[in-house]
Amino acid sequence: MIGAPHFLVVAALLFGLGLLGVLVRRNALVVFMSIELMLNAANLTFLAFARFPVRGRPSLDGHAIAFFVVAVAAAEASVGLAVVIAAFRSRGSINVDELRALRN
Amino acid sequence: MNASGPDVLAILPELLLTGGALVLALSEVFLRGERRGYQPVVAGVVSALAFASFAANASEPARALFGGFAAQDGLAIFGGATVCVGLFLTVLVGAGFLRVRAAERGEFYALLLLSAAGMCLLLRATDLLLVFVAIELMSVPTYALATYLRTGQRPAEAAFKYFLLGAFSSALFLYGAALCYGATGQTSLRGIAAAGGGPLLVAGLAFLLAGLGFKVAAVPFHMWTPDVYEGSPTPVTTFMSVGVKTAAFVAMLRILVTAFGGTGLAGTVAWGPVVQALAVLTMAIGNLFALTQRSVKRMLAYSSVAHAGYLLVAVAAAANGAVRAEATQGLLFYLAAYTLTAAGAFGAVAMLERRSGASAQPWDLDQFAGLARRRPWAAAATAMLLLSLAGIPPSAGFVGKLLVLRAAVDAGLVPLAVVAVLTSVVGLYYYLRVVVYLYMQPPAEAQEIPVHSWATDAALLATAVAVLAVGIGPGLLSDAATAGAKLFGG
Repeated sequence: MIGAPHFLVVAALLFGLGLLGVLVRRNALVVFMSIELMLNAANLTFLAFARFPVRGRPSLDGHAIAFFVVAVAAAEASVGLAVVIAAFRSRGSINVDELRALRN
Repeated sequence: MNASGPDVLAILPELLLTGGALVLALSEVFLRGERRGYQPVVAGVVSALAFASFAANASEPARALFGGFAAQDGLAIFGGATVCVGLFLTVLVGAGFLRVRAAERGEFYALLLLSAAGMCLLLRATDLLLVFVAIELMSVPTYALATYLRTGQRPAEAAFKYFLLGAFSSALFLYGAALCYGATGQTSLRGIAAAGGGPLLVAGLAFLLAGLGFKVAAVPFHMWTPDVYEGSPTPVTTFMSVGVKTAAFVAMLRILVTAFGGTGLAGTVAWGPVVQALAVLTMAIGNLFALTQRSVKRMLAYSSVAHAGYLLVAVAAAANGAVRAEATQGLLFYLAAYTLTAAGAFGAVAMLERRSGASAQPWDLDQFAGLARRRPWAAAATAMLLLSLAGIPPSAGFVGKLLVLRAAVDAGLVPLAVVAVLTSVVGLYYYLRVVVYLYMQPPAEAQEIPVHSWATDAALLATAVAVLAVGIGPGLLSDAATAGAKLFGG
């Protein structure tokens, strides 16, 4: 029987992978994809808890939140990709390590 | 969830700000003329109206809005009024700054207003879902604003870093919210307080705190702050340092106190010591790194980190239920004082900023040298604001520090108060160094003469006078902060 733990473990793994990606990868687009992975891991957690609640009865709250998160993430992606393009135009690179015009 | 008439009326400030943003964005499309002087006027009037509608609600009893998603209480009203003042000052600074650079566009003010609407929503959000949506509404326009002047590498790079770390912190916050939801089956703060605890809730709180830590620029989540503050156009930096800080700190306090500060099982999570540790680190690192900066703008960025540390002291004191009202009052007063002071100080930076873009150091201390001879009033106002940042009486910054430290001592956090005093002594050095340049150094050879802008001057003088007035007679503001310290269901 597949239950909450399965979904939660998958979500935690996804979140960990995203976290690792943000910390390790240097390409801005890959970093951004990793952040999206983290958001989706949070979504999966919401859905798992809504379907298999720890206490109380299943509720629709988690499902509704997932929709909000998807909408917000889309808005964030549109602005974020524009920012990445602006950075690329001025630097010719989107490598996170090569951004060093601002230093102590 | 049902939206009744009074509830919609209660969020009138947010509606005004959003409406103003739409008007400005559309005016940029449909009015094709070159005259754009009306735009800052519209933005200023809208922020004044939003301030007035907050002030008109000041005496209302605290109540829940929209079935518990938001609240109309002292915290929301005082914080919202502070954000509106910060917005107004930002518009003044921005009007002068953009005119000199021939970069006036409606979307600048539209994005400012939208972001302010997000801040006002965040101030009253009592549900983790609304907190998340409001944080995004506040942040996404500021990502775009950070890259507003697309000339040169700095703004693009600042926006880039701000976006990646901002999105990262939002994801951390959201995962924390998901874990809290899992542990309690609730997303409303009061529901979490009433439901159980457990390790899942502790993990959730840790992620929530990390996410909020990025927004308030607490060490060790502050790495983005100096780069983003320095690289963004100065009016945008002004807005980040006053608006984002106010909204994020109030949200942090509300979440910690309402959801994790009660007597229920969730209230047993001991977040006080964690916030204390963050406060010590933030005060120490912020002040020490500010010491070595020659760029005044970067110095103010580190100073903003240091001030986040003092504000965290107030949050840590609020962990003690007995002094919660006092600590909240201190936090609110400090936020209002910092809003006035930092907006003015960044206004001075905007006024003196070197405009020939190729220079490596547009905000070097040399730009401030000898200002007292050329423009004595501007120099006096800047000096007053720096003294307030340092916390020297009679200034608003001094009273704010006093209130925060009193709350910390009453909460039994004497070592924390001692660290706060010691680190602010360190702060004296780098603030007073700028004053020395203003008054005792001859103007440098390579100095650019600042362009006169009445809007920036007005912001500078008004904040200096207000900071001095609040420092001499803090009664009115501290009474307002006391009234603001009444949380709904806190």
